[in-house]
Amino acid sequence: MRRVVATMWNQMGLQAVLVYRFGQLLRSSRRRILLWPLLPFGWLIYGLAVLWVRRAYGIRIALSAEIGAGFWVGHFGGVEVINCRLGERCSVGQQTKVGRTGDGAGPQVGDGAWIGAHSRITGPVRVGNGVTIAPGARVSRDVPDRALVVGDPGRVVFRGYDNSQILPRA
Amino acid sequence: MWSALIADARLYSRLRWPSGNSALRRVLIWFRSSGLLVLALQRVSYGYLQQRAQRGWTIGTILLRVLIGLTRRPMMILTKCDVDDSIQIGPGVYLSDRGFLILGPLRIGSGTLIHERVTIGVRAGDPGKPVIGEKVWIGPDCVIYGNLSVGDGATVLPGAVVSMSVPARAVAAGNPATIVRREFDNTGLRSSLARDIDPQSLAPR
Repeated sequence: MRRVVATMWNQMGLQAVLVYRFGQLLRSSRRRILLWPLLPFGWLIYGLAVLWVRRAYGIRIALSAEIGAGFWVGHFGGVEVINCRLGERCSVGQQTKVGRTGDGAGPQVGDGAWIGAHSRITGPVRVGNGVTIAPGARVSRDVPDRALVVGDPGRVVFRGYDNSQILPRA
Repeated sequence: MWSALIADARLYSRLRWPSGNSALRRVLIWFRSSGLLVLALQRVSYGYLQQRAQRGWTIGTILLRVLIGLTRRPMMILTKCDVDDSIQIGPGVYLSDRGFLILGPLRIGSGTLIHERVTIGVRAGDPGKPVIGEKVWIGPDCVIYGNLSVGDGATVLPGAVVSMSVPARAVAAGNPATIVRREFDNTGLRSSLARDIDPQSLAPR
């Protein structure tokens, strides 16, 4: 218990993810009439928490993103995850932008993707399972499963790259 | 540590007020610059780690531990910087006031300028830390990672992603970074806070 509290205090990314999950919970409880009196308070708390996470830590995980279980945000600052779909056990670093560009379909990322710091995934692209995106890479084209993407514009430099060693594990 | 902090204040006030640099301004800069506060806290933390390794727990180290523990999180949120305690930073280093620095190299040499939104750290799954030399100019939005060294007097242009060693006095640019010029003198770059560099002007001639 003490370790759980310490982790929640120390990990800014975890706080941001918890706020996002709380927002999703509020969103899904819209249909339960018995919960309606509680919802305004819930949204108020959510709004304040989102403001804190965005202004203090610079992490922005919008509710338009659809994120699977086990999402990891490394460090803090400049993280934007908006209008996209991320699979399970994904990991992003600081200054990462996923699915930032306006309206329309956002990027779809598979399970177990390791997205490095300062990288960008924009546009309606499909990124496969177990993909590794090197720090600073800009992805604007489809990426096959288990590929390693490097550079600007992003190129697949290696196929069949195993990122299980670098993904944060539970 | 104190001489290093005085050298830092001198560098910061010289960069902020290139025309005149008085003793008053060297005091004033402590209240005007968040990067200097980050640097000061890092130096105190580094000194604390040294003290504790040498002497263990004394009254002084316990007090320092409490001070660092209380100030770390507010400073991180106010300045948006996460600078590792164990970095050996030479005297007279500039860290950007605009923040978003995530720094974890082994060493940073004296006279180095680091601009905003820079990440320096290890390659995932490899414990080797980068070494930043003296009088290096690192532009905004750079990433430097892996077991490498950036040589003395090197220049890393804005937006570069460096994962291999940069020789001394070379210019690295691009993503992934390449050496675009050798034997470049970055004294002019390091004498002001101008960040809008034209990469063409530094290309090989």
